[in-house]
Amino acid sequence: MAHSDSKPGGARPGLSEDWLALIIGMFIFLLSLLQFTGIDIFGWAITTGIWTDITTALKPVSASCAGLPNIIYLMFTFLFLLIILSIGAALMRLNVRRFALGFTAVFFISYICWILGGCAYIAATPNQLDKFGISWSLNLTSEAGYIIALLVGLVIGNFFPGVGRRIEEAIRPELYIKSAIVILGGFLGITAAEQLGLATSVMFRGLCAIVEAYLIYWALVYFIARKYFKFSREWSVPLASGISICGVSAAIATGSAIKARPIVPIMVSSLVVIFAVVELVLLPFIAQNFLYHEPMVAGAWMGLAVKTDGAAVASGAIAESLILAKALAKDGIQYQPGWIMATTTTVKVFIDVFIAVWAFILAWIWSVKIHPTAGEKVGASQIWQRFPKFILGYMATFVIVILLAVFHNDLVPMTKKAMGQANVFRGIFFVMTFFTIGVVSNFRKLWEEGIGKLALVYVICLFGFIIWIGLVISWLFFHGVKPPIVG
Amino acid sequence: MDQSQPKITEELEKMAHEPLLPIEKKLISWSIILGIALIIILVWVSHTFFEV
Repeated sequence: MAHSDSKPGGARPGLSEDWLALIIGMFIFLLSLLQFTGIDIFGWAITTGIWTDITTALKPVSASCAGLPNIIYLMFTFLFLLIILSIGAALMRLNVRRFALGFTAVFFISYICWILGGCAYIAATPNQLDKFGISWSLNLTSEAGYIIALLVGLVIGNFFPGVGRRIEEAIRPELYIKSAIVILGGFLGITAAEQLGLATSVMFRGLCAIVEAYLIYWALVYFIARKYFKFSREWSVPLASGISICGVSAAIATGSAIKARPIVPIMVSSLVVIFAVVELVLLPFIAQNFLYHEPMVAGAWMGLAVKTDGAAVASGAIAESLILAKALAKDGIQYQPGWIMATTTTVKVFIDVFIAVWAFILAWIWSVKIHPTAGEKVGASQIWQRFPKFILGYMATFVIVILLAVFHNDLVPMTKKAMGQANVFRGIFFVMTFFTIGVVSNFRKLWEEGIGKLALVYVICLFGFIIWIGLVISWLFFHGVKPPIVG
Repeated sequence: MDQSQPKITEELEKMAHEPLLPIEKKLISWSIILGIALIIILVWVSHTFFEV
């Protein structure tokens, strides 16, 4: 994730991942709206489901597109993404050939993992056993492919670093998850449009939760790092932001706000990514076991506790799948999909928005009170500079779909179909995020670096109180809020 | 990180001790006080005006 977006040698910097994610997400979203003109624009996009016979694992999203062998639809999907992402790589001034080769590997490895995760013995939930004619399954739901992709990525990142280096140009979990989040905006918009009162409530409560998280988390971690671990201000600020707010982007934004050396937030970030993987593997399963009666608390908890956008939204997706399956199996309640992940995403998006504000506050305190520099002013323009631009894409797709549904109720079925098709690409970006998070999570390298003291603060703060305060805040604002029930 | 890049241990060893300044104490305490006060207000607002 510590990629440079520009060519060495002082060349003009390329487009940032943030802007590119916004463009890619919006492009797919707008194309999907061609549904309104009667064009089944993404009907050929490939999807995968739960299978007992692997030859039935793939199918195009639109039944009207059946006819060709499914492998052809897989290739169409791959080529579509390869073309738009390669154009994106050129705009970012990357080596397009290396990117295209890397992306080919990332796409196919990720997709194979996704297909394997759909094996009924791994994915089928108890209510599906009869349908698939099997007597047992691991009950990991159809999102099991994400976990497999993560594990394969971890194996490559830690045991085959040479392979990781060959494809590193396309190892961009932040780009993939941000593009996915922009597309997700439209999908969640149509879900929210049908329950506007609930959606408004979720958004307000999400906003409250993150205000609390910022004020309490950051101050506590900063205090512990400074007082008990004797870290300097330069280390404590990125560390507090990385552990408490939103991982990598917060560590980098607040680090630069106080003018820390770039190496400091980068080192903190490497720790953030590692622990985000640990949380991603643990927390959704804990949520399934203890919070299946409070699904929205679980969704908010994933957003507050799991650091990095990728790992957080991914945790929300897995938690949703696991909780829906358990609620159905234990209580016979079938919650409408989308709401738990929507809660996680809402919380995460608000957190990202506030990073810029928090960085501005810290920049002002540092420049005026701690290291005053004659004549230096901290302008509000810094908020815009540090604002994560992909959020604009998420907001745009969410608002456009809600407005369409509110003012043109007759368009709701068509909008649903369009968002369903765009959502196919969201799923693919998700599985590529899992795989690439695994590849960049080099536990061995970090161990060799001697992370002892830094990791100790991280573990104490994260598992000592961040996760639990996050749970309490989520509970305070979301207990009793339930997703709509299907049927 | 290759050999030429600084290691985390080396960077941590070089770190000088900096006592907490009054402004940092103020930032920490006000942040936590405001957080706790807002919990009460925001929970009340969300349960009163954004009931589900």
